[in-house]
Amino acid sequence: MAAARAADGSGWRWLIQLVPGATARTALATLLAFGAAASSVALMAVSAWLLSRAAEHPPVLYLQVAAIGVRVFGISRGLFRYLERLVGHDVALRLQSALRLSTYSHLARTTLLGTRRGDLLTRVIADVEAVQDLVVRFVVPVVSASLVIVATSAVFAAFSPATALVLLGSALLGGVIVPGLAQRVSRRWDAAAAPARGKLAAGVHELARTAPDLVAYGAADEQLRRVLAADDELRRLDERGAWVRGVASGCQVLAAATAVIAALLIGGPLVADGTLPPVMLAVLVLTPLALHEVLSTLTQAAQSATRALASLARVRQLLDAVPVGVGDRDLPSTDVAPGPLVLDDLAIGWPGGPVLHEGLTLRVEPGESVAVVGPSGAGKTTLAATILGLIPPRSGRVEVTGRVGYLAQDAHIFATSISENVRIGNRDADAAGVRRALDRAGLPLDAARVVGEEGATLSGGEARRLALSRLFAGEYQAVVLDEPSEHLDAVTAEALLDDIFASMAGVPLLVITHDPDVVARCHRTVELAVGAVPYR
Amino acid sequence: MRKDGRVSTTSGSTDARRRGPLDPRLLRRGRDTLRYLVAGVAVGSATAVLTIVQAWALSSALGDIFETHALGVLTWAVPMLVGVFAGKAILAWLNQWLAQRASAAVKSRLRRDVLAARLVDPVRPEPSTASLVTLLTQGLDALDGYYSKYLPQLLLAVTVPLIIGVAILTSDLTSAIIVAVTLPLIPLFMALVGWTTEARTRKRWRVQTRLAGHFADLVAGLPTLQVFGRARAQAEGLRRSEAAHRRETMGTLRISFLSALVLELLASLSVAIVAVAIGFRVVFHEVDLTAAFFVLILAPEVYLPVRQVGVHYHDAADGMAAAESAFALIEGAEQPSDASADGAFDKLEQRPSATPSAVEPVVPTLATASSVELVETAVIDRPQPPTPLFQITGLTVHYPGAAAPVLNDVDLTARTGELTVITGTSGTGKTTLLYALMGFVSPASGRFLLDGRPADAPTRRARIAWVGQNPGMVNGTIADNIRLGAPDATDDAVRDSLRLAGGDSLDPARGVGDDGEGLSAGERRRVAVARALLRVSRRQADVLVLDEPTAGLDAATETALLDAVTGLGTTTIAVSHRPAVIARADHVLHLG
Repeated sequence: MAAARAADGSGWRWLIQLVPGATARTALATLLAFGAAASSVALMAVSAWLLSRAAEHPPVLYLQVAAIGVRVFGISRGLFRYLERLVGHDVALRLQSALRLSTYSHLARTTLLGTRRGDLLTRVIADVEAVQDLVVRFVVPVVSASLVIVATSAVFAAFSPATALVLLGSALLGGVIVPGLAQRVSRRWDAAAAPARGKLAAGVHELARTAPDLVAYGAADEQLRRVLAADDELRRLDERGAWVRGVASGCQVLAAATAVIAALLIGGPLVADGTLPPVMLAVLVLTPLALHEVLSTLTQAAQSATRALASLARVRQLLDAVPVGVGDRDLPSTDVAPGPLVLDDLAIGWPGGPVLHEGLTLRVEPGESVAVVGPSGAGKTTLAATILGLIPPRSGRVEVTGRVGYLAQDAHIFATSISENVRIGNRDADAAGVRRALDRAGLPLDAARVVGEEGATLSGGEARRLALSRLFAGEYQAVVLDEPSEHLDAVTAEALLDDIFASMAGVPLLVITHDPDVVARCHRTVELAVGAVPYR
Repeated sequence: MRKDGRVSTTSGSTDARRRGPLDPRLLRRGRDTLRYLVAGVAVGSATAVLTIVQAWALSSALGDIFETHALGVLTWAVPMLVGVFAGKAILAWLNQWLAQRASAAVKSRLRRDVLAARLVDPVRPEPSTASLVTLLTQGLDALDGYYSKYLPQLLLAVTVPLIIGVAILTSDLTSAIIVAVTLPLIPLFMALVGWTTEARTRKRWRVQTRLAGHFADLVAGLPTLQVFGRARAQAEGLRRSEAAHRRETMGTLRISFLSALVLELLASLSVAIVAVAIGFRVVFHEVDLTAAFFVLILAPEVYLPVRQVGVHYHDAADGMAAAESAFALIEGAEQPSDASADGAFDKLEQRPSATPSAVEPVVPTLATASSVELVETAVIDRPQPPTPLFQITGLTVHYPGAAAPVLNDVDLTARTGELTVITGTSGTGKTTLLYALMGFVSPASGRFLLDGRPADAPTRRARIAWVGQNPGMVNGTIADNIRLGAPDATDDAVRDSLRLAGGDSLDPARGVGDDGEGLSAGERRRVAVARALLRVSRRQADVLVLDEPTAGLDAATETALLDAVTGLGTTTIAVSHRPAVIARADHVLHLG
């Protein structure tokens, strides 16, 4: 284990540094764990001495200190253990929160293209969760157990250096070498288990998201079989892990046996030739039993460490990835008069992808509306992303004054209240402002109502209006609308378009659409043809 | 509207059925693992017997050397100890293997059952996908603690103290009495603490699951957040909810670890009492040293299994909370389907669901009502009105918890070869009508007739090619998605379907990521329509059911798609608000 720690030293040290005071708290937890383990060992050692001394039939008074010691150690073990668990879990939770926040902040700064979301979910949830084990099940038990081994061996050395050496050796075998070997052997399977786990999670995610289609097309059984195959794979890997754990615990029993039998074989002759006080023999023989019970948890510790470090390495990999795009938009203050929206010899395309269009030049004055039409996949959304500043222009310039509002084709509805969803557009909106925005978007729903995942409790039209109401909640000096009438019935769409065009009469309005009704409302139309370069 | 109702019903019923440390459903689901469990307990009991032999050999050796200062005893004690420890080592290995076997079988079974339940109720909004992923990965892993540690320990906590207690009794009555008095206090306290912490453990699980959902929700919504410049602001909210989560969890842990504290205290204090008591009796020659050592070595072993139960109790509680979530999902899906109108129809008319080839081929050009009439006349030999292909009568759907039914006594007739369009403003139940037709939701009442005969959901689905409003995309290529449900379709058939759906420009070999990543909404819809058309062209279905088929398509693509659909002459039921679609309808049903 020491070797493993040295090899992966940088694997978790950066994590500890995320939380101020984490080192001190971990040290405290370790000290408390040492107290608990030492109490356990001392309870057996002092009891063995008490019985042996009693057999010499001294005045009872001579036994009182030992008797009190036995009782104190009986009580202190539980107390130390309780405090250690509280302090340890507190550190672990702090580290977990810190890691979740860093992960989120990092993701917020990049686009999520190319990463499968199911996989991402296991990463951020399961991997970050595994970090708890690192402190609670690895660092604290391993360091505290090492301290107990050293302390017990030191005390033994005062009476019989030979038994002390055997005890140290057996403890190293049972507490370090065996768990370390078990870890090395099972590392391969644990490394294989993480992707299997990811595969299972991705399969569940896919099945849940496509369930209606799978059922409708009779493909549900096939998909279920695929997910269960991942489950089978995971189970096989777990089985091998259990086999290794079993061999390790067997070896630990043998290590304890070595210490006990050796103490008997070394201590017995010492008592026989009078070099060891007879009262010490039982102490030397029985204490290893208690010590090795403390060590039996270390195989689990090594396994937890392997798993946690593998998870942590994946999180690290995610955090080290170079961000794509700009992430969060920097919205300027709203205190300016609307100016024109200007595209100057603009070339658009995703970073690292092909250029979709070149030489786009357009000027939209405040109060003017321009429809951008073109077949699906012509790069209309890429144009919007470029105007919004989410991705840089490949060449040329975009000029805007103040904030550009955007209504996406697939705006996300968060699993929270309707009013919180509206406030995405303007976090300072009060209840009246939210109500007003909802009314203008034609959504007469209770603002306090909680909507499900991706607005699952809203109809398609309602979700669209909710996304739209975000624009009404905030102040924007220019607006890009992406298919504003989509998913709405004709009557409501007309009323809604009336509202949009009336309320945005003073700003430059760029409308991506294929709806002839919407095109008819705009002053001008720009057509994006499918360029010579293929889509993405 | 439906989420609130369903969730409160489910959690209300599980909370009402509070269970002790042994959930009968967990034992029932774990029946496959019973033999591993019994074997595990046998191994644990055998280990206890070996421990007694070990204590006897050790105490004899220590006592004898102490009294006589001679080493003769080692000649038999040491070989015996070697044998005993070797036996214990083998049993320790066996124990780990059996424990893993026990929990793995149960986990796999629950995963399968939960996923199957999800497929029975495919449009259910709860739990969220993220919650489901959490539950089926690390959620169920919490069951390891239950099956591989808690449950065997619970049984060993009965057998081992009995075995070792008897051994102590043969050696020293007083110590046996101390053990017999103190030992039952531990389960007593365990039960008390367990009862008081159960509710909090549940709450903690819910908080954690909600947090997982919150986190995933934020990640999924990042593009939207970034557009409004709010992603960083959400990080602050996440920080606060994380802090709240830690406070909540630590509050729970302070109380639940208290139970472990009480157990540890009782167990080690009892050992101390036994040791001190027997020590003083050794002084007064009431007990000999060998017997005293024998008791001292065995005393901790009596309490060990009970302490282990306490140690693993929280593993078990986590596992049981996860298992309860799983049971709620499994049972939630089992109940409505049992009580549905479909179930009644099953008994009336059993039509094998997997007989697409038996379906009467649809003439691809103009299969009109009159041609159907001719066939009918020929067979039955008397004049009949044209038989509607699909008939829905008196359909009422009421989501649990909603104030009013979303659909109330709705009738729909779709005739062979005709385009039936369902219109209406948002929220009038257009999509719900299609869900009921597909059997995704269970109606409160209503009859579904296919070719004039009652048809259950699988029978109906076997005749339908369906395109939802937000079509689900599996990971793979565009061709893989079009082949969904028809894996053996040729490349040419796939390409033809894609062309009919207006997707000429799409490369069938193009990759589709998670949640249809890499395809625009319009492209996704075209792929889904191609999927449906492939099903129709292969005669696997003769009815198209489309929910907003032309949303996200431009006018030219829309026209091309409608030409393709009507050109096939396939019976079509579509939900749409687009004038171009309504204009082509043979029959319009207006809802609301």
